[in-house]
Amino acid sequence: MSPLNGFQVLFAILMAVLGTASLVAVGRRAVTRREGALWAALCIAACVAVLWPRLTSLVAGWLGIGRGADLISYLTVAVMLVGFWLTYMRLRALRRELTLLVRRLALDEGLGEERREPGPPREDPSDRSPR
Amino acid sequence: MSAAPDQGSEATPSRAALAIPTTDDPRAAPSTEASSRADPAEVWIVLAAHDEAPTIETVLEELVARWPNAVVVDDGSEDGTRELARRHTPHVLRHRINRGQGAALQTGIEYALARGARYLVTFDADGQHDPRDVEALLAPLARGECEVTLGSRFLGEAVDLPAGRRLALRLAVLLGRLVHRVPLTDAHNGLRAFTLRAARRMEITLDGMAHASEIVDLVRQAGLAFREVPVTVRYSAYSLSKGQPTRAAFRIAFQYLMGKLLR
Repeated sequence: MSPLNGFQVLFAILMAVLGTASLVAVGRRAVTRREGALWAALCIAACVAVLWPRLTSLVAGWLGIGRGADLISYLTVAVMLVGFWLTYMRLRALRRELTLLVRRLALDEGLGEERREPGPPREDPSDRSPR
Repeated sequence: MSAAPDQGSEATPSRAALAIPTTDDPRAAPSTEASSRADPAEVWIVLAAHDEAPTIETVLEELVARWPNAVVVDDGSEDGTRELARRHTPHVLRHRINRGQGAALQTGIEYALARGARYLVTFDADGQHDPRDVEALLAPLARGECEVTLGSRFLGEAVDLPAGRRLALRLAVLLGRLVHRVPLTDAHNGLRAFTLRAARRMEITLDGMAHASEIVDLVRQAGLAFREVPVTVRYSAYSLSKGQPTRAAFRIAFQYLMGKLLR
């Protein structure tokens, strides 16, 4: 293995810090074990790609891509798209929770002492529809 | 109905501009068949309002004269809409932050259901809808002919509708027929009526303007019998300023499609 250049050293340190932070986040229950493991794996993969660039060329060759740099580009795009999708889904869920909270506050205030129904039931056992 | 929070509104429109009929209007003929009339005590009108101070009092004044059970959901207004609404109805709910018309309507629907509503009507707070049309919307429900009625301005009348907006609405109708597989003549009319059973079987989950398309899907998926009813929609400078610009159609369509895909 040829001596590491400055960028490789700095990058490896950065990935080590991020990977460790991911594991610490798992310990603090800030993220799930699956998420922590995923981020740690990404850091390791990035580190390997930078420290052993010929390995990426080898893998690229197996996949019929050609250049290791192209493989890195494609993987980066894929990871970003997955990340954007997951973020969108989380934001969507967060908006939904916010609406439900705002609604609950409004109904509790409006209905006063009365218990409000926990959302409209799907089946109405007492069919009051006009026939 | 209400625009997004960052859109402004016109000056307070006059009553004439809103063209809301007065009680001595000879056109306001009462229904003659007792069996087709819903008991006002069992009817709840649901209005979602965001910054509708210029029109909310005028709208409520005419509505509660005939339909006393009107619930206004103040969707994060900052212009005193809530206080003005309380002068005409005790049923005023408050969304502490703006969530959108769909979210506000669902809140109002749940409130009305908790209050024992047998029929529910959604009504816009910007003065576009005619209170006299509520009777026409409820008649088929009271006769047991269907469980949902959807107002259609193209079967009825669209007064002072700009040509560009008319074209956009027509296109929306065509697209809606493809997506919903339901032959409606009006795509996004906020004037609708439901029976208790229909309202219980639907839950609006799309907070913004895409809820209008979601409601059509919910009606179809629940297998609810419905029909379109001719209604009058009157456009004013104020209501047009509060409405959605044409460019928002893409955003609304995206929200609807994502909601449909992820439901």
